[in-house]
Amino acid sequence: MLKGLVLALGGFVLFLIVHVLLFRWRLPHRRFMSMVRITGMIGAALIAVHRITPTDLGVLPQTYTMAGWAVDLLNSLIVFGFLFIGYCMFYFLVDRGFSGRIMIEIEASSDRRLRQQDIAARYSIETVLRRRLGEMLEIGRIVEEHGRYRNTAKGRSAAAMFAFVKGFLKLGEGG
Amino acid sequence: MRGLVAGLLAFGIYLVVQATLFHFVKVSRRALVLVGLWIAGLLVYVLVYAALPEDQTVWPAPLAAPSDMVTFFNGGLLYFFMFMGYAQFFYIAESSVGVRTMIELASELERGLTLEELTKRYRYDWMLQRRLRRLIHAGYLVEENGWFRTTVRGRVAATFLAWCKRLLCLGPGG
Repeated sequence: MLKGLVLALGGFVLFLIVHVLLFRWRLPHRRFMSMVRITGMIGAALIAVHRITPTDLGVLPQTYTMAGWAVDLLNSLIVFGFLFIGYCMFYFLVDRGFSGRIMIEIEASSDRRLRQQDIAARYSIETVLRRRLGEMLEIGRIVEEHGRYRNTAKGRSAAAMFAFVKGFLKLGEGG
Repeated sequence: MRGLVAGLLAFGIYLVVQATLFHFVKVSRRALVLVGLWIAGLLVYVLVYAALPEDQTVWPAPLAAPSDMVTFFNGGLLYFFMFMGYAQFFYIAESSVGVRTMIELASELERGLTLEELTKRYRYDWMLQRRLRRLIHAGYLVEENGWFRTTVRGRVAATFLAWCKRLLCLGPGG
């Protein structure tokens, strides 16, 4: 199992390097899609590397490399996939996190302190919604016609699914 | 496979218990309950792992792994990753402005909504207050006479997040 874990970790480190370099060199128009593409390419490479390298990678202890090739590969892909999902969580926190933005605004203010109305003035609900609407237009969840926004079929399914989850888990209106 | 199956089963049990609890009980400190249940689920993982047979007795050779320390911790890692993935989904459902927007738009399927109409449906004061309360509770902010300041922890977090935003050229965001 160790080989798969090492390769998954190596693949994830490679993803991070490529992702940072790409975003710094030329910020992609569809950021998240570019991250998914990089992950897909590295995932395919991971399968190939797993199949052509020795079970101990030449350095790993024999004791922990006795798993069957299929379970090792499956495990490697699962770990790599979950590392990516975990990173996405962090990425969205950095990119879209409302709470993070509040702390940054407070730190950037002259006295390093703000009242609630100051925060609202620096970051209005219109700004928040405009950004979210732009993102959802990009990924095809909504369409805009003459200034009116409507859900697409994809948006309707997502809305129905999340409305069900919110209702079932009693999460309130949220947002 | 033993570790993977045990991790999967332990997470399945966690999910059923968590969903049932949230459905029938009004939970106020959601994060605490989510994490508390996950920690309790670690014991379930250990028990399920112990109850499963050795791989060699049930799986073909390519899918069989020895029941060693790596297999055991690997299953635990899967259980952790699945929880992290679920937590992400949970908080998207709970707090995402985008999700809320789609749900609001779903109430006006044909006509749709303008930005102005959408704005009126939000209680921005409540949204901000909720976030500020959470930040105070988590030790990132303190409030003094209506003014909010970052604590040392909040300052470190803000500096780190701002650095990540700059590194990835993401703009102010939020």
